Amino acid sequence: MIRTPLRPLARIISARDKGENPKAIERENIRRRHKNMQDRARARAEGRLLVLGVFFFAAFVTVGARMGMLATSEPSEPAVSFVDTAIAMQRADIVDRQGRILATNFETHSLYAQPPQMIDPIAAAEGLVEIFPDLDKGRLIRDFTGKRKFLWIKRKISPEQKQAVHDLGDPGLLFGPREMRLYPNGSLAAHVLGGASFGKEGVSAAEVIGVAGVERQFDDYLRDPANGNKPLQLSLDLTVQAAAERVLYGGMKLMNAKGATSILMDVHTGEVISVVSLPDFDPNDRPRPPTSGFDPSVSPLFNRAVQGVYELGSTFKIFAIAQALDLGLITPHTVIDTRGPLRWGRFRITDYRNYGNEMTVTNVIVKSSNIGTARIAQQIGAEQQRAFLDSLGMLDATPFEIVEAQGGKPLLPANWSELSTMTISYGHGLSTSPMHLAAGYAAIANGGHYVSPTVLKRSGPQHGPRVLSAQAAAQARNMLRLVVSEGTASFGEVPGYAVGGKTGTADKPKPRGGYYDEKVIATFASIFPAHDPKYVLVVTLDEPSENTGDKPRRTAGWTAVPVAAEMIRRVAPLLGLRPSFEPAKGAAITLASQ
Amino acid sequence: MSYLEYNVKSVPTGLRKLLYLNWPLLVLTITVACVGFLMLYSVAGGSFTPWAKPQMERFALGLAVMLVVALVPIWFWRNIAALAYLLSLALLVSVEFFGTVGMGAQRWLDLGFVRLQPSELVKITMVMLLAAYYDWLPAKRTSRPFWVMLPLLFILLPTWLVLQQPDLGTSILFILGGGALMFLAGVHWAYFAVVIAAGIGLVTTVFQSRGTDWQLLKNYQFRRIDTFLDPSTDPLGAGYHITQSKIALGSGGWAGRGFMQGTQSRLNFLPEKHTDFIFTTLAEEFGFVGGLSLLALYTLILVFCISTALAARDRFSSLVSLGIAVTVFLFFGVNMSMVMGLAPVVGVPLPMISYGGSAMLVLMAALGLVQSAHIHRPRNRRR
Repeated sequence: MIRTPLRPLARIISARDKGENPKAIERENIRRRHKNMQDRARARAEGRLLVLGVFFFAAFVTVGARMGMLATSEPSEPAVSFVDTAIAMQRADIVDRQGRILATNFETHSLYAQPPQMIDPIAAAEGLVEIFPDLDKGRLIRDFTGKRKFLWIKRKISPEQKQAVHDLGDPGLLFGPREMRLYPNGSLAAHVLGGASFGKEGVSAAEVIGVAGVERQFDDYLRDPANGNKPLQLSLDLTVQAAAERVLYGGMKLMNAKGATSILMDVHTGEVISVVSLPDFDPNDRPRPPTSGFDPSVSPLFNRAVQGVYELGSTFKIFAIAQALDLGLITPHTVIDTRGPLRWGRFRITDYRNYGNEMTVTNVIVKSSNIGTARIAQQIGAEQQRAFLDSLGMLDATPFEIVEAQGGKPLLPANWSELSTMTISYGHGLSTSPMHLAAGYAAIANGGHYVSPTVLKRSGPQHGPRVLSAQAAAQARNMLRLVVSEGTASFGEVPGYAVGGKTGTADKPKPRGGYYDEKVIATFASIFPAHDPKYVLVVTLDEPSENTGDKPRRTAGWTAVPVAAEMIRRVAPLLGLRPSFEPAKGAAITLASQ
Repeated sequence: MSYLEYNVKSVPTGLRKLLYLNWPLLVLTITVACVGFLMLYSVAGGSFTPWAKPQMERFALGLAVMLVVALVPIWFWRNIAALAYLLSLALLVSVEFFGTVGMGAQRWLDLGFVRLQPSELVKITMVMLLAAYYDWLPAKRTSRPFWVMLPLLFILLPTWLVLQQPDLGTSILFILGGGALMFLAGVHWAYFAVVIAAGIGLVTTVFQSRGTDWQLLKNYQFRRIDTFLDPSTDPLGAGYHITQSKIALGSGGWAGRGFMQGTQSRLNFLPEKHTDFIFTTLAEEFGFVGGLSLLALYTLILVFCISTALAARDRFSSLVSLGIAVTVFLFFGVNMSMVMGLAPVVGVPLPMISYGGSAMLVLMAALGLVQSAHIHRPRNRRR
């Protein structure tokens, strides 16, 4: 910056010459410089003020424009967006093998209160008690007038109840959307589905979590939004399941049993078409689990098909025979020494009746001889028996995909001695669930392959490793057919469906050792149609007693077998099996349709 | 350099001062306050209690304070600016120790007859101090680093103190108000550029700190920012204020639902409906037209403050008037933006309208300063 001198020499000299006061020039210059400075400062201040003014103006325009925008906007309650909420909505449906709904979701509302916003807490409490008689009025009033800022009143309310609460008109009573799980078929397949309840609860949503059955087992899948709401398809068939439940329920009542279970399984795929455990419950209103110190197997929540491990008795005999056939130790016509009783140390093995001194292998099965089976098992030996039962999955919990199945761990003998080998061969000393038994029979029925039982729909055969030769399996199947046509399960004959199977009546063990005399587990494990089995059906009755005769009859042949036969009669057509009649031996009749 | 003492003789004296009041400003002030009474009356459901009556009493007190401040010569206020600042700062510190905790923050000082919020007071004393400082400081030193650091300290000290309370809204107001004053005083623009750049850096850092153990803001403050960015994420929780007030504004439409007809505000949907969110009531009942009219009233207040500043012959008067104009602007600008979802909800009242004692009294005193500057400006002597 070039400074103008305050006392420019030329002007001062000329002023002196004119006799003027040179100080005046200096004052004049100082005044001018000040004025310049002031002007500059003023200009800058005005510039700054202008900037501020522009800023103010911009702010006004923004605020005004926003106000106009909001004023023209339609007032609408914000749609609650669940995108970011931690609680995921929309649990996937569960459907049966034909896509029919087993479990779905239903939109209801929850009711909560914010007491600080209440206009008349007392009236609100009185109104609520009128709508929900189970609420405690005194407690509500205490909550509403106390210091609480928030409280739940009801987790799920119906639309009618919601309207009634609306009509109370208190702004402190609020609703939140609430998705709940609905099982439209009620108690149908209750044990498989299990049930769901609320996990984390928020005002605008609640997390639905599976608590049992497939709901729990596949909880992650059902909740995962990435699956795009693709339903979980089960192997169950709704129609068959309904028929099976009816028949089993009737059978349980008729046979005065305290519980019953049935499993219908496809022998090639392992798909469980129907599984029933009675008594059952309604998963829409799942009962509380029994408190400890109480026998859990009495609870309707108890799934006898997979959780109940029982000594299943003579139904096991076919495994020993099939293995012996497979190992080539015997043929169906080998004669076995069945003189009884068979003594082993202090232990005696007897038969239900004395069947004479010797029998063929086929008759051992048909007549259900404990002694004969035990003798054959002695030939097999502990080592090989154990390996074979292991290959049938009898030594571990079943892989059936509901959480309860893991609880159905077989009870093995502490020491697999030769005696154990003998008792296990006729179904004592090893406790398994009916599901284990069904899987074992499936292996015999499908020609010798292990299949793992599954609750999920499969496509095509799911044969596992071979556990029996096809020949041994076929021979075992023939024996099972003879049990029905000539032996202990004669009530199991269903015309047209060629049922084969094996009965088993096992005394129930007392909790403190020993066996009850009058309490049995009666089981009938069947396959049908016997010449080319497609399904295996296991029916087990808990403490049955058939009282039409002089004295109560408890054996499976009188109890479980008729129930199973009735079930096959009912479900076989539903499964698409057409009855076919074997030509009677020697008869000259042939069916026109063949 | 001050010109004050030169022209004392031409300044009105005694009660004649009343004639020289900035009458339009006074009328505007009273008008806005009356709008406030109306709204408080309406919010209470057509009742003077519990809000309208105390507010009117306070306004009467405030009017008296304003007149007293106005009649005292402006140079007196300049001379005690530093003292006033120190005193208010001391009060602010004492809040830390004796303050009453209200609404999750320690902001109030209970003096027995009135609950005082020293942070409100500091807003004005800070403006006074800065104006006095630049009045005293030779213009050519304005932009020298040392002389820039000093006022910066005056601003940051109370800012830090209110951040301890914690009161994010007031601290932002301090920084914006003080910064605007320094800008108006003519501090070189490069400083502002640096500060703004640093501010952007700081905001980035604050967001980076989120979730770490050196988190710089409280979680509720972060949530408010989140909610500001997208209130729809939590319409029943943190976003409740904003969504409800937006609904109120929308339901007001162009002409409003009419006096005492606002449902959103009167049916308790709105929290803080008589304090920070009172604008929603106005917008719902008088609509866009009403809201814009209020905006116009505030604008006129600003215009008259600025005209006083322009007419003033000394830096103190002019800077104080401008500083107070900026403060008023920040109050209602931030409040309206916050209500309309343009700014985070930071708890800034609507000047002269929101229910509240300290803010009203302090604001009236501030307008008194503007009046004082207006009265005591040098004029041509009347013949």
